[in-house]
Amino acid sequence: MSAATLGVVETAAAVRAGRLSAVEVTQAALDRIETRNGAINAFTGVTADRALAAAAAVDNALRSGRDPGPLAGVPFAVKNLFDVNDVVRLSGSRIDAARPPATRDATLVARLESAGAILVGTLNMDEYAFGFSTQNSHYGPTRNPHDLSRVAGGSSGGSAAAVAADMVPTALGSDTNGSIRVPAALCGVFGLKPTFGRLSRSGTQLFAASLDHVGPFARSVADVAAVYDALQGPDPSDPACAGRPAEPVTALLEQGTAGLRVAVADGYFTGNGHPEVFAAMEKAAKALGVTRRIELPEPALARAAAMLITASEGADLHLADLKSQAASFDPMTRPLFLSGALVPAVWYVQAQRFRRWYTHKLAALFGDVDVILAPATPYPAFPIGQRMIEIDGRQLPASGHLGVFTQPLSFAGLPVLAAPIAGAGPLPLGLQIIAAPWREDVVLCFAAAAEAAGVLAAPSVRV
Amino acid sequence: MSQSPATPDDLQRYVEQTAAAIGLPIAAADMPTVVAIFATLARVAAPLMEFPLPEEAEPAPVFTAEGVRR
Repeated sequence: MSAATLGVVETAAAVRAGRLSAVEVTQAALDRIETRNGAINAFTGVTADRALAAAAAVDNALRSGRDPGPLAGVPFAVKNLFDVNDVVRLSGSRIDAARPPATRDATLVARLESAGAILVGTLNMDEYAFGFSTQNSHYGPTRNPHDLSRVAGGSSGGSAAAVAADMVPTALGSDTNGSIRVPAALCGVFGLKPTFGRLSRSGTQLFAASLDHVGPFARSVADVAAVYDALQGPDPSDPACAGRPAEPVTALLEQGTAGLRVAVADGYFTGNGHPEVFAAMEKAAKALGVTRRIELPEPALARAAAMLITASEGADLHLADLKSQAASFDPMTRPLFLSGALVPAVWYVQAQRFRRWYTHKLAALFGDVDVILAPATPYPAFPIGQRMIEIDGRQLPASGHLGVFTQPLSFAGLPVLAAPIAGAGPLPLGLQIIAAPWREDVVLCFAAAAEAAGVLAAPSVRV
Repeated sequence: MSQSPATPDDLQRYVEQTAAAIGLPIAAADMPTVVAIFATLARVAAPLMEFPLPEEAEPAPVFTAEGVRR
């Protein structure tokens, strides 16, 4: 049996059954990273010694009859804003590269390892997560595995590219405005942004605390679910973590979609992008038998409010460095942070008050619908270095506009899976599967059915 | 009632003077981009500031008097 191209569930099953050792699987992942990362630039650090030691411990546990956990021997990597013990947390920056190494693991890194998974490295991102394209000036751009001349999306671009190129079967990222869903869509993998407050952010570099989420990437719905289940549970060290007990979804995936009321997001979500995106969206909706349309309340204002909160909170977090060493920031993010520091308080407070109004309106909407579908991005991956893009005759910032469809959803904290549309075209395209707060089970059950029907699938990469 | 929108000159002055007031140096080379991004924020903020929110729409801070959620 070969460890290449195995997913999360297959790898864990093979290791637990003794068909593969965790050390073999881990070494194979390290070899793939060695071979493939040069072209893609997803990894900024590889934790080979730690990985091989952890894998040997999993194998020892199996030999001595102990349960190594549900994710035994599954290699994973994390966006480099997660704390990894003894590793400097870069958060995509040069400034933080001078700081001391972390003295512990982030909660979610520890949870995956206690489930038997093996951390193999850390992944590239936009500096301090402020961007949608992972064109990092310090560490180089992460390249899209489907076309190396194009962006991977961001800010968790390294996470999406590492999974798409099968360097690892799963990775963790963060999503404030779309930073899991955008790169997942552009790289053709699944990316879950759970409900705000579901997963602990403890031990991660925050960006805009009001909006920050963390979540997993993988190449199938079952793989996403298996990792998500291992990540859940309360954590008092993250004040935004809601403290809910784990609500595992893996056993529910084959429940089917009978009785689910599904609609496609209308209005705002049918424009502001390139025609191929809406054509792929329509084709997927038709294949799933979804004909109903639904309008979200004021999505453009939700995006505006998300932008103001993000800019303000992000700038405040980095204000001391902006004052003392602005030149050390990435030129891609420096002007974003600087302008965010100047947002008047009334704009920020109005945005937070609007969030309350919007959340109430959306809660009412979910009285009448269970699943909403929307495009994930307004266009597929664009060439690295491209600054502007044309939308309906207007020139818009190519990176900044990537969040047009994701921002109004994360702003409400809803659970959303970005999923690759099967056969979308030469470049991957994704759709968002959205449900009411805390209904990740509905999101993933619907996705599993759509995957089984052949509507969703991670396109393979020739590497 | 809506006021006249800020002019590009207004925004330029706001950026320069606010940055000075909060002690935030902005390099001359960065200033045009910072002003342009701030202008985008001002443009998207305008309809949000006009949106009639009810008084009970209060922000949703994650705050507990003991500091952390138990």
